[in-house]
Amino acid sequence: MNAAPSLVPFRWPAEWRDQSMAALLKGTPINCLAGSVPPAIPIGGLPFITLDPDNPPQGITLREGVWPRVLPAKEEDTALAGATGGPWVDSNAGVIRLAQAKDPGRQVWLTYSPPGPKEIVPVEDYVRPIAEAGAYGARWVIALDPQFAQAIAGKNDRAIGVWRQMIEVLRLFESRREWRAWQPVAALAVVSSFQGDDRLLAEEFLSLAPRRHLAYRIVLASDLATTSFEKEKAILYLDGAPPRGDARDLLLRFAENGGSAFAPRGIIQARPVETRQAHAIHPLGRGRVITPLDRWEDPFALARQVQLLLSIREDVVQVWNGGDMNSHYLSSPDGRRAVVHLIPYASGPTQPVTIGVRKRYRSARVTTPASTARVRTMPGQLGIEIPIGEFSCFAAVELDE
Amino acid sequence: MRLTAHATGLTRRDLLIAAGMGLAARRAAAAPAARVAVTRCQDYGAGVRPALRRMFDGLGGISRLVAGKSVAIKINMANPLRARTGYRPAWYTRWSHPAVIAAAVSLIGAAGARRIRILEGSCEDDNPLEENILQGGWDPRDLLGAAAGVEMENTDSLGLGKKYARLKVPGGGSIYPSFDCNHSYADCDVMVSIAKLKEHQFAGVALSMNNMIGIAPAAIYGDAAGFEEPAERPFGRRGMFHTGRRQPPSSVPAETNPASPRDAGYRIPRVTVDLVAARPIDLAIIDGIETQTSVEGAAPAPGARRGIALIKPGILVAGFNPVCTDAVAAALMGFDPAADRGTPPFEHGDSTLDLAEKAGIGTRDLKRIEVVGTPIRTLVFPFRRF
Repeated sequence: MNAAPSLVPFRWPAEWRDQSMAALLKGTPINCLAGSVPPAIPIGGLPFITLDPDNPPQGITLREGVWPRVLPAKEEDTALAGATGGPWVDSNAGVIRLAQAKDPGRQVWLTYSPPGPKEIVPVEDYVRPIAEAGAYGARWVIALDPQFAQAIAGKNDRAIGVWRQMIEVLRLFESRREWRAWQPVAALAVVSSFQGDDRLLAEEFLSLAPRRHLAYRIVLASDLATTSFEKEKAILYLDGAPPRGDARDLLLRFAENGGSAFAPRGIIQARPVETRQAHAIHPLGRGRVITPLDRWEDPFALARQVQLLLSIREDVVQVWNGGDMNSHYLSSPDGRRAVVHLIPYASGPTQPVTIGVRKRYRSARVTTPASTARVRTMPGQLGIEIPIGEFSCFAAVELDE
Repeated sequence: MRLTAHATGLTRRDLLIAAGMGLAARRAAAAPAARVAVTRCQDYGAGVRPALRRMFDGLGGISRLVAGKSVAIKINMANPLRARTGYRPAWYTRWSHPAVIAAAVSLIGAAGARRIRILEGSCEDDNPLEENILQGGWDPRDLLGAAAGVEMENTDSLGLGKKYARLKVPGGGSIYPSFDCNHSYADCDVMVSIAKLKEHQFAGVALSMNNMIGIAPAAIYGDAAGFEEPAERPFGRRGMFHTGRRQPPSSVPAETNPASPRDAGYRIPRVTVDLVAARPIDLAIIDGIETQTSVEGAAPAPGARRGIALIKPGILVAGFNPVCTDAVAAALMGFDPAADRGTPPFEHGDSTLDLAEKAGIGTRDLKRIEVVGTPIRTLVFPFRRF
């Protein structure tokens, strides 16, 4: 039996030299220790799992990942500009989701540590890595920097308060294990081998699209023939070379039946009727085949172009006052329940956030690190709108029909 | 006796300024006056179109203006597109509401317009305007379907045109001698400005004239404009209008006097008047059904003493002359349209109304403006009470 899904790992801080600190873990969802070597002192009852990328634990995919945040500039009190034109955001969305797509039966663990000693990380930001991983159905191997670990050991009120919030967020995800089996709600399927020369562009697309709230489902190119695309409005065939054989036939059939098939030039010989957003549009049947005028190179530009060519009308979730925030929308198998995870990457509280979803759910409940509350759904022009409130690091919006 | 500069103690510069002021005063006295229609409209429901129709009728009808013509409608969707004042969608706080736009489009179409093009820039990229309206949470089909032959264009870059149209400011302009704009502002017979009834951090009020700031493309006047040529895609707000810290690309006419004050309170009203002179407004419509106080943006200015209040004045204003229309709108907001800098709402900048009047565009003198519909005094909604 695969025990990995129930494991909640924690790196025992080297600063905790007193066994009594184990009491802090008692009654929490944390149920194992992990690292490259076991702690120097025995921690009663908790199994230790060795994190060796070359020999990962059974049922677990290890990925290093990055500390999720808006990347600070080195000198000025501003953030680095990124591919988005806005600040550069380090996110693990693409890494987690691709690992899940490649090994659907394995739990993804992220093993990164907090930024080094030269950077001051607000302790409140420790909630975000747990929430980000949880939102995408993964685990972060919780690791504390020395200052935070010492502050907790010294029973500093602020540190203890944040620790409690971290535990509460862990509890939330443990109490909603069913979310891990829920499927992304998306109008777009991203198909790629995610290998070789195409890997970087495809992986970056997966990381950057959520910042535009462009939702997607990942399909490995090897699974294309056996995958149903009934729910999708568009397929993005994200490889350098145009598809051939059955893959090409499937994409053309998808377009003929009313979908939008994005693929490299060469998939279709017909002349385009128009060019928009650096792409040529070839009508086909009830749909269209869309090819780039030049080779795809910029993943954020591509995310934007795909979103606009498909239309924001097809966005399954919209976010207002979101700033640098990812959204991840999952639905239960029967479609009657859903959750929208919101992960702001900047430190501190957000503005008052509102989200919009197209499906007209009747009730909504918002859980943040600080509170849980029912909120009113309001009719909007494009579906319903839900006022979420101001929050830090994370909010989960649970929706019921 | 003929006074000389020497005899009066005045310098030659003083005399020139005095002569200029005399000319401005004469222009102001001669500035045209036009009728303005005002009505109460409590919400954005079905009552908007009949209210607007009554107002157009009160103005003498719009058929003569638009029949057989190509009509450009500049709406107001100030960036950021995904910012809301609290939880309230921007249509209710900062932007011209789609119900008002749709009603105007419908009536202009019914009056025989040949083509109607809804226009607005967005300094957040060259997305189609339809997509920006979707980002605001509204379905653009409501607007596209309000009349026959309706189009949309994001005018913050070249858009669907092959080159920028150069719009010259008659008389040379206070700040800029001309503006390079999206083709849509030249390729039209009639210019309609649909604005929100709102305050402005530097200009005091942001009404039908201030709405025209948005016709200047961010690809040329935005923070990410090229230094030699316009940027391909528009990014960044029009910082050069506020601060004058840089000039537009060298392929575009620069400021007439780079030594003029770099103060936003000096510059924004003058740039506005330059733009209105370069691309005159033929019909001004101001949506004051719901709005906000204090600023034109979604958040209070840093250090601001006033917060933002969401308010429902329940007012629509329309007129053929933008200065007269804005003057009446300012009065409805509880301000004296004849006020000058230093007096509310012009504490932080010069009065656009004053400058536009001196430029001969229209009068701000309420005694010369015929108001039809509901009298101003019964609809005054003092913004500074909030």
